Amino acid sequence: MLQKKICLLGAFSVGKTSLIQRFVSSLFDDKYLTTVGVKIDKKIVTVDQQEIMLMIWDLAGEDDYNTLNKNHLRGAAGYILVIDGTRPKSLDVGLAVHDKVKEALGDVPVVVALNKADLIDEWILDADQLAKLEEKLPVLRTSAKTGDNVELLFSELAARLQ
Amino acid sequence: MSTITEAVLTKLDKVVLTYVEDGYFERENEAHSWFLEIWGDEKKFQLIGFSEYLDNFIVDAIEHWNSGKVEVLSSGPFLEQSASNPELPLEAEAISIGTSLILTITNLGESYQQKLDLLQAARHNLLSNEQLEIEVSKRTATIRQREAEISGRLIYAAGFRDEETGSHINRIGLYSAAMGRALGWSQFAVEDICTAAPMHDLGKIGIPDNILKKPGKLTDEEFEVMKTHPKIGAEILGDSEIEMIQVASEIAASHHENWDGSGYPAGLKGETIPIAARIVAIVDVYDALVHARVYKPAMPEEEALEIMASLVGNKFDPELFQLFLDNIQEMRDIRTNILD
Ligand SMILES: Nc1nc2c(ncn2[C@@H]2O[C@H](COP(=O)(O)OP(=O)(O)OP(=O)(O)O)[C@@H](O)[C@H]2O)c(=O)[nH]1
Ligand SMILES: [Fe+2]
Ligand SMILES: [Mg+2]
Repeated sequence: MLQKKICLLGAFSVGKTSLIQRFVSSLFDDKYLTTVGVKIDKKIVTVDQQEIMLMIWDLAGEDDYNTLNKNHLRGAAGYILVIDGTRPKSLDVGLAVHDKVKEALGDVPVVVALNKADLIDEWILDADQLAKLEEKLPVLRTSAKTGDNVELLFSELAARLQ
Repeated sequence: MSTITEAVLTKLDKVVLTYVEDGYFERENEAHSWFLEIWGDEKKFQLIGFSEYLDNFIVDAIEHWNSGKVEVLSSGPFLEQSASNPELPLEAEAISIGTSLILTITNLGESYQQKLDLLQAARHNLLSNEQLEIEVSKRTATIRQREAEISGRLIYAAGFRDEETGSHINRIGLYSAAMGRALGWSQFAVEDICTAAPMHDLGKIGIPDNILKKPGKLTDEEFEVMKTHPKIGAEILGDSEIEMIQVASEIAASHHENWDGSGYPAGLKGETIPIAARIVAIVDVYDALVHARVYKPAMPEEEALEIMASLVGNKFDPELFQLFLDNIQEMRDIRTNILD
């Protein structure tokens, strides 16, 4: 079976692990358990009647204590950039990560997850910045909590993988 | 391997492998159960194909070995799924010793948990700082909004007597803010002048109707009365604790001062005129010239800028006028976005 490596990237606590957990095991936990180190999950998706095994790399968040290790990106066919709608800072970090990844991987497919859509009333992202982002990249509003758009998120990326 | 070395490696929960050839490694010490669960109990075995993460790290390890570097290359922690543990915390290290190419794999066990706890606490901390920042900026935004509303209501009150259009007044704020940004002012200072500048003529509220609303030219005496509007404005805005009102008061007081000292009411000269007032003096004239008024048609921008250029040095601050010209496109955008 065809195997494809994808990565989840973004600031800390935006919901990378939660999105993977929702997608792979249909589970969600409200409690925040940070990820230390790298965990790889697998799930089979079907694109154009062809099965693809997604190797999903959950990379620890970017913050004062952790920066992106470019070696972890090697061989990635695409990635999901996760941004937390309730935290403007996660948008800045996300954009910086995006630049870094582009430098390392070139133009591989990316889909942006604007996560925590269930908390949309608490979203405080800058509208202009968002509009610019949406012009540049495919963006989906997701919720790992309710499961909204999570399947779609992964299948959108899978469909774009070469 | 000595029994002591063996015991130490067991204690450290570390397995030492040496590279043989063709992807084959040889295990140098007793394998621990977690290791056997993933890589099996053969002494010589193919490492690749059992751990996605390690497979990726081997590429870095080979590069490291080939580079002849003496230090240890660490893979960083990763979580592997074994039969008895769905999240086994491991770390690999690549070292070359003489001609031996060594790879160690360590079960981080307790130390992983400690690292996790530390990072967990640190990230909780970062999160609450972030939340605090968001809270503060929300409150600041609320205060700003209130200031803008009060300013808007004052201008509205003045508008009952003065004919000045609301859009002219708004544009004055935006041009001034653009100048502030071009000067590299802080966001706060930019917002202050944006809200304050539209109040520059507030003092006209204190000018009697027969003068303020007189259709023709004012007599010298009448003009003397008209010239009191900066003072009245400054008095209304007063001696405020609120930064934005302070700026507004300065602007109201000094927007008819001239660079060469020929202005009114105080005849201030050069940089003794507050910079916010010097800015408003420029943008007010610009906006008035390029827009139509009941008593005059709109003037083409080119002509307006020529007239303004002739006022540089006597009326306008030359450096600020140059900055205004450097940012003329932004001024035009403001003009076209906020029409009369
Ligand atoms: N309401 C809501 N909470 C979410 C959602 N996704 C994640 N969370 C919560 O946000 C917190 C962080 O989620 P994680 O999945 O651990 O985030 P992460 O990006 O993996 O974090 P790090 O591993 O520390 O980088 C947890 O408390 C989750 O329960 C969502 O869609 N809605
Ligand atoms: Fe005036
Ligand atoms: Mg995580």
